[in-house]
Amino acid sequence: MAADPFARLADRQQSLRTALRALKAAGPGSPDFRSLLATTNAEVEAVVQARRDVEAARLTSPNRMIAIATTAAALIVAVGWFDAWSLLSLLVAVATAASVLVDPAGRRVFEPRARTTAICAALLATLLTPLASGWATLITAAGIAWWAWRTLK
Amino acid sequence: MNIDPVKALDGKVERLKKELKSLETRIDHAQTDAAHHQLSQANQLKDNTRKLTKTNDRVTELAESVHRLERLLVALNRKVRASETQKADFDDWPEIDEAQLAKIHKGQEAYARRVFTPQEAKDTRKAIAEYDRRALEAIDAAEALTHLPPSAETLWRKNYQQWRSITDQERPDAPDDDTHAKDTVAKTAGNEAIGHVRQLIRARIEDAVARDLLFPAWFENMLGPAAPPGKADDWLYTATDVVLYRLLHGITSPADALGPAPQDEGHRKTLHNRLTGECADYRRP
Repeated sequence: MAADPFARLADRQQSLRTALRALKAAGPGSPDFRSLLATTNAEVEAVVQARRDVEAARLTSPNRMIAIATTAAALIVAVGWFDAWSLLSLLVAVATAASVLVDPAGRRVFEPRARTTAICAALLATLLTPLASGWATLITAAGIAWWAWRTLK
Repeated sequence: MNIDPVKALDGKVERLKKELKSLETRIDHAQTDAAHHQLSQANQLKDNTRKLTKTNDRVTELAESVHRLERLLVALNRKVRASETQKADFDDWPEIDEAQLAKIHKGQEAYARRVFTPQEAKDTRKAIAEYDRRALEAIDAAEALTHLPPSAETLWRKNYQQWRSITDQERPDAPDDDTHAKDTVAKTAGNEAIGHVRQLIRARIEDAVARDLLFPAWFENMLGPAAPPGKADDWLYTATDVVLYRLLHGITSPADALGPAPQDEGHRKTLHNRLTGECADYRRP
């Protein structure tokens, strides 16, 4: 099996094509449709997982960079525009950044990009905190909600 | 001679008073007598009632004791006959083979099977067509997954969800047009087999009755020592059914003719209930 995620995805897609050909040839009425469907389902899961690996490989370092940037920005904002009400937004953003730093890609099938969205929202909120103070938390919360929704659905 | 009219009147009044008093006394006496009479009658009634109750109790006791004696007699009769009479065998049936029993079972299953109504068959066919359509759609969606670029996440999600919608569903079984014909054949074969087996069993029971053989314990337990007078045919019919029930459902208990009551609703339970009721009638004195 290829070590490169791109090659592995292509590999998986090829074997899914084979499984689908067999499934199509059998047709829904045939007696072994059930078992072929199960085989194809396993192939589909493998393809989707391979795509997740590709996405994870592509998004791991950007996610990490944005998380570091968010943490740094939060520190700067906390010192430069100190305000107790703003602190809420900064803390939530830093918490999001910390979780993305620990695991930039996540484990679920559609999680890598959802994490990117969440951490981008956290960075935006941090940058807007001097203007919107505590209300910027809403942006981070929306990002987290999007993350959860895309991951769990 | 009293010439004073006042005195004469006084004397008269005095006499009348005396008479009145004696009359009162007599009335009092009469009343007391009547009361006495009534009281004694009531007492007698009470006595009689008590005696009647006692007699009733005694009769009940006697009836119980007669019943005990009767059962003792039946048991004794059996013991006496067991020592010198040949026993009837209703447990081994070499002339009835497994194939016949299987036929009967199949016939009963055919009777129990629910038949597809035309509307249900139509609905099922519609559901199957719907499933097939969605399966083809899902296959198309899965095919799209084989050439999508990894970054087109929305399309991946859409196609993946479409695929998932089919994997957790079962394709309904097609209504079998042959079922009805096959069931009819099974019913006919089962009825024929039942008729044949019933004949064999009945012949053996009749033979046992004719030769005065000793019935097995479960048989006598269930159907009594003999057919009740005037009901021989019904009794034989039920007895045949009891033996057939034991054969069909593999009951071998030497004491309990029908075995434990079946839990599931169905033909077997109906038959069990019917036989239990009928046999209770035959055992009643």
